[in-house]
Amino acid sequence: MSAAVYTNLSTSGLSAAGVIRSEWIKLRTVRSTIWAFAIVVAVSVGIAVLMASTGFFGDEPLPAEAQTSIVLQASTFGVYFGQLVMAVLGVLVISGEYGTGMIRSTLTAVPKRIPALAAKAIVLFLSSFVVGAIAILASYLVAAPILAVQDIAATVDGAFIGNLLLAALYLALTSVFALGVGTVLRSSAGGIAAALGIVLLLPIIVSAIAGFSGAQWAMDVSPYLFSNAGSGMYTGGSLEQWQFTLIVAAWTALSLGAGTLLLKRRDA
Amino acid sequence: MIHAQALTKRYGAKTAVDDIDFTVRPGLVTGFLGPNGAGKSTTMRMIVGLDRPTHGGVTVNGRKYAEHRAPLHEVGALLDAKAIHTGRSAYNHLLAMGATHGIGKARVNEVIGMTGLESVAGKRVGGFSLGMGQRLGIAAALLGDPATLILDEPVNGLDPEGVMWVRRLARSLAAEGRTIFLSSHLMSEMALTADHLIVLGRGRIIADAPVADILAGSTRTAVRLRSPRAEQLAQLLAGPQVSISTTEQGLLTVTGLTAEVIGDTAAGAGIPLHELTPVGASLEEAYMDLTQDDVEYHAGTTTPEGALR
Repeated sequence: MSAAVYTNLSTSGLSAAGVIRSEWIKLRTVRSTIWAFAIVVAVSVGIAVLMASTGFFGDEPLPAEAQTSIVLQASTFGVYFGQLVMAVLGVLVISGEYGTGMIRSTLTAVPKRIPALAAKAIVLFLSSFVVGAIAILASYLVAAPILAVQDIAATVDGAFIGNLLLAALYLALTSVFALGVGTVLRSSAGGIAAALGIVLLLPIIVSAIAGFSGAQWAMDVSPYLFSNAGSGMYTGGSLEQWQFTLIVAAWTALSLGAGTLLLKRRDA
Repeated sequence: MIHAQALTKRYGAKTAVDDIDFTVRPGLVTGFLGPNGAGKSTTMRMIVGLDRPTHGGVTVNGRKYAEHRAPLHEVGALLDAKAIHTGRSAYNHLLAMGATHGIGKARVNEVIGMTGLESVAGKRVGGFSLGMGQRLGIAAALLGDPATLILDEPVNGLDPEGVMWVRRLARSLAAEGRTIFLSSHLMSEMALTADHLIVLGRGRIIADAPVADILAGSTRTAVRLRSPRAEQLAQLLAGPQVSISTTEQGLLTVTGLTAEVIGDTAAGAGIPLHELTPVGASLEEAYMDLTQDDVEYHAGTTTPEGALR
């Protein structure tokens, strides 16, 4: 029997910065991320070109406010599609780990678990925000000269740029919301179905009910739905923009909170 | 050092691990043996906190795994060769795992070299064979240069050369004073690799002893003898506790009697012996004895499905 007892003398250890770096490496080293981000940018720019070049806005000069609104719409129309891609990506970031068994490696390295999910959320949020901002700014930059031909130009002020960034923020929150959904359901198919159901289908169903039966509750609840509130964040509507932002943030907190609770309690 | 106390895991009505106590000591290779579903993997998952014990607990070097400042430096675990994202390259997998603990590229390249993965490190794990996946899992376990290594079925899917490599690796890491805890269903493998055995059956410990003791304790210690008058000798040796089998003319295998008793009996009757050899039971036989007893003992007290998940 050996008397020696091996002791690891290295001074490095688990750290928040390390866990975040680990999740960043993971996010950028799978193809689904690269594809998702490329699609968000490409589709957003493509739709902006399409919108700007096919729109006809009359011969009379429009008021400045209406012009700004047209440019904003052309620049952010791709968000309707981008939100779906971000939702799929957010689910895959965690369901891909459950599907492959990678989650056991992740949770062995970070046995307290919650820091791993928090790091995933931070990394996903920041990179989705940056990609969303690039997509929307690029869309603005290609749409603006095309619209200028028809004498349509935005008044580029703080509010306008703020709206573009709010659209990017919505995309980032969508991916984190979906991360929470994926953590709860732990399956790619189920997670994507649920996330897209909430983002895409729920507003359609509610508006169909409202249109069909004229039910007041359906009309009342509509602005509080995830994607309705999401578009309200950068276009406004029946509530203030900051209120819409809070509604989307609340959805995100709810899903991520449920995911956190279950991640901590369940066996991996 | 791994220390389990009253460790229990139930899944609904089924008990996977039933109130077990054991200690895995440093400087030794401790084998964890048991039939499929005996609770080995569940026990190993509980050690690193992936499964939460229903009752009792387990510590590594005096603390729960999750409470260590640098878990990967304490324990390296290969729990499931498939615990790797198939869409990522081996190198990036190791880099991401190491990053959590500030372990950098130099160490990643080191473990890639140690496990012989240089030529495939840049390839996506999805295309790996079972053996390569196993090597990558072992590389990940070694990443933190841990004092304790837990390997669940490490030789699964490895070629003979790989099996030899794991055996040498386990022995050399134990010689450095590390705690090595490995499970295997290959009992012959255990006989060659392990110093100490913990045998699990239906979630309970049936044996916890040095390999040599388990072999010696087997009821199947036999004696092989060759004689021109084998039939006559067989009649003399026959008794209630003795079993005699013959596979060819003049060759007997006797269990229940020692070589001394057989030799003296033959000499007393003037029967010539051409061979008299005590045959040590294989670990496999010893193990079958142990688990068989366990099954019989528990048949009336557990559910028909047993303790399996």
